Amino acid sequence: MNMTLPVSSGVSAAVLKLLRLRLLLTYNSFRHAKTRTRVLTVLAMAGLLVFAGVIFWLSWLLLGFLRSPDLAVYVGGDVILFLQAVPALIFTIMFLSILLTSFAVLLQALYLSGDMDFLLAAPVPIRAVFITKLLQAVLPGFGISLLFGLPVLFGLGASVGYNLLYYPLVLVTMVALTLAAAGLSSLLVMLVVRIFPARRIAEVLGFFGAIFSMLCSQTGNFSNSLRHGSDPSGNQIAGLLALVTRFNSPWIPLNWAGRGLVELGQGNWMTGLLLVVLTLGMASAAFWFTLVTAERWYYTGWAGMQAITNKKKVAGPARAVVAGTSPLSGLFEHLLPAPIRGIVRRDFLILTRDLRHMSQLVTPLIFGLLYTFMFLRGGGQPPAGRGEAPTWFMESFSSLLAYGNVGMSLFVGWMLLGQLSGNAISREGKNYWVLKASPLRPEHLLFAKFIVSYLPALLMGWFFLTGISILQHISIVGYFYGLLAVAMCLAGMNGILLGLGALTANFDWEDPRKINSGGMGCLGSILAGLFLPLGFGLFIAPLWVVTFLQLPLAYGYLVGLVLGPGLTGLAAWLPLKIAAGKVGRLGES
Amino acid sequence: MSANIPLIEARNLVKQFGDKPAVKDVSFQVFGGEIFGFLGPNGAGKTTTIKMIVGLLQPTSGSIRVAGYDVQTQPLLSKSSSGYVPDTPNLYAKLTGRELLGFVADLYDLDRKQVARRIDELLRMFDLTEAADDTLDSYSHGMQQKASLAAALIHDPRVLVLDEPTVGLDPKSARLIKDILRQIADRGAAVMLSTHILEIAERMCDRIGIINKGQLVAVGTMDELRALGKTGEASLEDIFLGLTGGAEVAEIAEILK
Repeated sequence: MNMTLPVSSGVSAAVLKLLRLRLLLTYNSFRHAKTRTRVLTVLAMAGLLVFAGVIFWLSWLLLGFLRSPDLAVYVGGDVILFLQAVPALIFTIMFLSILLTSFAVLLQALYLSGDMDFLLAAPVPIRAVFITKLLQAVLPGFGISLLFGLPVLFGLGASVGYNLLYYPLVLVTMVALTLAAAGLSSLLVMLVVRIFPARRIAEVLGFFGAIFSMLCSQTGNFSNSLRHGSDPSGNQIAGLLALVTRFNSPWIPLNWAGRGLVELGQGNWMTGLLLVVLTLGMASAAFWFTLVTAERWYYTGWAGMQAITNKKKVAGPARAVVAGTSPLSGLFEHLLPAPIRGIVRRDFLILTRDLRHMSQLVTPLIFGLLYTFMFLRGGGQPPAGRGEAPTWFMESFSSLLAYGNVGMSLFVGWMLLGQLSGNAISREGKNYWVLKASPLRPEHLLFAKFIVSYLPALLMGWFFLTGISILQHISIVGYFYGLLAVAMCLAGMNGILLGLGALTANFDWEDPRKINSGGMGCLGSILAGLFLPLGFGLFIAPLWVVTFLQLPLAYGYLVGLVLGPGLTGLAAWLPLKIAAGKVGRLGES
Repeated sequence: MSANIPLIEARNLVKQFGDKPAVKDVSFQVFGGEIFGFLGPNGAGKTTTIKMIVGLLQPTSGSIRVAGYDVQTQPLLSKSSSGYVPDTPNLYAKLTGRELLGFVADLYDLDRKQVARRIDELLRMFDLTEAADDTLDSYSHGMQQKASLAAALIHDPRVLVLDEPTVGLDPKSARLIKDILRQIADRGAAVMLSTHILEIAERMCDRIGIINKGQLVAVGTMDELRALGKTGEASLEDIFLGLTGGAEVAEIAEILK
């Protein structure tokens, strides 16, 4: 039997076909998702629409308000010029952010998704495949631009009273600039992949993306602590407006679209049309050029060849095996059985080599530094409030804050344990068979994992404790007591997180940032959160009580040394003891 | 080691996944010095059986002894005696080949003085010396498969179990692995491998077990299996298709020609 398959007539028909496939995949994922996910998705979509509406309304009001002559007097600058610079500013931000965000998406779509060969082997034009990939890559960035940029631009038009042609042309310009940015991004991806392996680039992007988003999320807190509640002055606002206005230079091509649309909106047809048409022409040419070039680079194999390859290292005999000749590693070898040493060494190698893990580990360090700075800047004193709190409360609060060094160190250690401990067994992932098929005792596995999560948390906790203690001039006895309190509390928390996380370990994941340690892991996080103040309290409360009763501090230390290690030691041991009986059957579902 | 000692002994092995039976009352033995081929169509229960032998899955009922040790009650001893190569070589992407072998040597608590020499020997044997200090994510599928086999051999096991060991290998690597498995068996170890490639099973294996729908439908040497066929001259393919219900598929293929 011989059948001739119809080959698609043109690029546009093939693009539509591929987009339909993408839509079908999205729809199927939605259809087969859990009811809760589906409801949340629908609610999120509705919420986004409402959000866009609110932005439009706010822009209308605020941008209208900016035209007020009273405001011009207050800020002392030309607000009208600022308003005229808004479209150029938005288009520039949109172009640059799409250029950057579509880089990551295109890297995934062109090199890591694994469907390129399948699509290129199908009877569809190669150009259609690339257009679809580009459209797919710009979708998130374009959606965000529509959500945030479009309502502001429309709000500006409505508040200033631009003519009707302004509105459709805003949308057309956004589409053209988005496609040009995506095209340039695709070439950028191919150039970078010529130098570095695609998977490594994805890891680096993930690492810096996580750090950047975390820093962004904390910027508000940090600037608040620096500002101490002062409000922006008229001069600051005027400075900001002047900066934006200065940015709207006619010599920057990215500003032509915004300037042209403003001219068109104001009825200056000649200048407006010239600038807008010029922008659209340049954007289309850039898109076309990048599309054709990307296609050629990919099809000829140029984009898949690495121009720079690492020189082969001369293999030395058994370097990794004869590890550690220092006295510390010698001690380590004598104290621990080989399987535990092997797992500890391997885990530290993997944690430091895989940047996706590293981003999780660096986060607590940055958080710790930020909050320590804020804590020390506050002088370690409770906020004065409105003076309504009783004196005894303020004194007690103040004496409790004297142990802020221990509290801050535990906070940092807790964050790090949260990343390392609960997921410690799940982190084995699909490689778990190596451990399971070997003669490894469950106790050895748990002990090795305990060390791997405990040591970094302990070292980081002690690092913060030492730093804060020096800056706060803590007594030497208090410092050593703090070291013990941090060590024991973190051990207890580690036992809870690791033990419960091990009970429902989940090995089915691809990206280490998406490891889920299951229901018991979640319970472990809750219990560890409850345990932390309790453990901390057992060490610190006796000191606080003897201070309150005006007894010698030594009594407090003695009581703390009995109560604290007792509970924390139990918390460190018991969950692991329970988990040891279950670990042998993990990974059999 | 003697050839009449069973190093793998499965008795009335059953595995249920919920209501679905995957392996039904399977019993067989693999002796020291022999290569035992385990054949069956997709979903027949080969991988499940193999996973139970190496202690990755708990049987619902029945027992398995590896090198004389009960896998259920003496798991550490049985695992110390066996090596396993899975069908998909999921290895630690961020470890180098040499580090992987060092790590596995630690798991088996091998003498550190001999480990370095053993690793070099295995790397040379599998032609991985040049890539020894590259991370495993830069290895091809075939190289990962070889690294996986090298890791399974680091402790010189008495029992070697391999799930589809030649899938994705180039002819040179496939030949290398076949030769190595023969050498291991000749030294007295028991080698059990599952494969879809009947030519490999026919040429390499001393005895063959055929599993279908969770049940072991035949076990024996090629001659013993041929004796099951009507003509006595049947190839392994004919025997396999006859026993696993694939004969009608072969007839349809013949008609379509």
